[in-house]
Amino acid sequence: MLKRLRRHAWLYWIIAPVILYFAAFVFFPLGQGLYYSFFKAGLGGLREFIGLGNYAKVLASPAFVRATVNTLVIAGGITVLGTLMPIVPAIALAEITPEPLRRAFQTTIYTPYLLSWVIILGIWTNTLSPIGLVNSVLLHLHLIEAPIVFFATPAWARPLLIGQTVWKDIGFHALIYYSALLSLDQDVLDAAALDGAGGWAKIRYIVLPHLRPMLAVVFVLTLQGSLHTFDSSLLMLNGRTADEILTLAVFAYQRGVLQFDLGMASAAAAVLLALCLAVAAVTRLLAPGAMRL
Amino acid sequence: MLNSTPIRVLSFVVLGLLAGTMLIPLWSIVATAFSSKFASLQPGIILWPAPFSLEGFATLFSRLDFVRPLLNTLMLTVTGTAIHVLLAAMAGFVLAQESLPGRRLIGALILLTLTIPSQIMMVPMFVLFRQAGLLNTWFSLWLSGTVSAFSILRMKAYFEQVPAALVDSARLDGAGNYALLRHVYLPLAMPGVLTVAAFQVVYRYNMFTEPLLFITDADKLTLQIALKSIILSESATSTNDFIAPNVQMAGILLAMLPLLIFYPLMQRYLVRGMLVGAVKG
Repeated sequence: MLKRLRRHAWLYWIIAPVILYFAAFVFFPLGQGLYYSFFKAGLGGLREFIGLGNYAKVLASPAFVRATVNTLVIAGGITVLGTLMPIVPAIALAEITPEPLRRAFQTTIYTPYLLSWVIILGIWTNTLSPIGLVNSVLLHLHLIEAPIVFFATPAWARPLLIGQTVWKDIGFHALIYYSALLSLDQDVLDAAALDGAGGWAKIRYIVLPHLRPMLAVVFVLTLQGSLHTFDSSLLMLNGRTADEILTLAVFAYQRGVLQFDLGMASAAAAVLLALCLAVAAVTRLLAPGAMRL
Repeated sequence: MLNSTPIRVLSFVVLGLLAGTMLIPLWSIVATAFSSKFASLQPGIILWPAPFSLEGFATLFSRLDFVRPLLNTLMLTVTGTAIHVLLAAMAGFVLAQESLPGRRLIGALILLTLTIPSQIMMVPMFVLFRQAGLLNTWFSLWLSGTVSAFSILRMKAYFEQVPAALVDSARLDGAGNYALLRHVYLPLAMPGVLTVAAFQVVYRYNMFTEPLLFITDADKLTLQIALKSIILSESATSTNDFIAPNVQMAGILLAMLPLLIFYPLMQRYLVRGMLVGAVKG
């Protein structure tokens, strides 16, 4: 055994920096954060042990409850739409034949996935501004009488946040489905056609069942990702829309980094972590194999 | 695939509309960026700059600090990506060695970090960097996402594809560990290296949360933060004036440019790598 260890010593040296990194910059701060959540803590450091006091304060705070509701609603919307909607462009990509054209569509719809939230929001605040493209068209068609102030209307806040997220990721998810469609056996489709199945029947009975395992993967990926929505929420919220779209991650940031209430922020982060882990555990039970990343 | 004309027609319609939601706003950005301040403030759709003007870019460069954040971001993108790829490759290589005692334990430890989203680490990292006096230093950004379990697993998958017979025969020919890495493993794992690098470039270039938390020095601002100030018309940069749409769109256009140049070059890796990650990782 010792001999084996010695022969592999150089391998341990090579991986040591990575293990050290995870220990010092993931596990240590996380542990310290959990520790802080039991203390009254500010910028000066720990002041006094208050047990579950921060958790009680957090759970009793209306702002936290709002943030939790917002997070769940937004994550739910993003997950359902983000999983189902990309099926349509994926099938469409598989149907389009001149290869260069298919590739051009694929490139175009994948691009927003690469752009930062600052840019995505810049694009849509410009397009949806009171003097922008959408309002101009709607006014011109006499569909509305006054411009809609999309980004300052509470009722639009969640649909916009969910919509922009789904839009940003649709090409990415469509490509995952499309690659799964490539492994679909053409013979099966042809046999179905001989039995009189039309295009829609093929989609219903062959294509969608074939995509099911991938749907589970995308569902889990999207759910995990959307639970800690931060950039989009922080960048979009303003005085009028904060109540609709302020998420738990933003709540923890505001309490901890802007207001220096580290104890309460740590407790909020711990609750969010528990939420994520619970969701991970449930999805693992419901869809085993989907989380094999 | 489906042999159905209506579905084929519908496919073109769907993709055309979807691509339209990307191309039309994009074109509108270009047209607005090249318009004068006055023209960019008029209601209506700007589909052609009239009159053509570089006013937006001029304001961006002269009155708002835009060049330094851009250079900072490019520097951080290159250095951060290099460190990340190197560490991920080393760890992936080690985890691909099946005979290594303790391999499962190390692997499990690394996998565990996958369950901890980076957004949950925000406050703890802020506290840690504050204690260590690393706020407002480049180290705070280099030490964020320095290496990730995701990249390590990706690299491991590529190293595992290297046939054992090839390694054995190289060993017989007297190749040492270094020669083995340099001449056998690395060339075969190159697509993996490029895939991880491509995604890191995108991630580092778009980095937003970390600089928002850790950096407040004006001369260490990064691109996305500077752009945020311009788009949200915050006075955080250097002037309190109202920032007109032509300046905002000029900023967006310039910020998008490096990525739009990079994307076609690395598309193979961004797309294929994504599929490897999504399907088996």
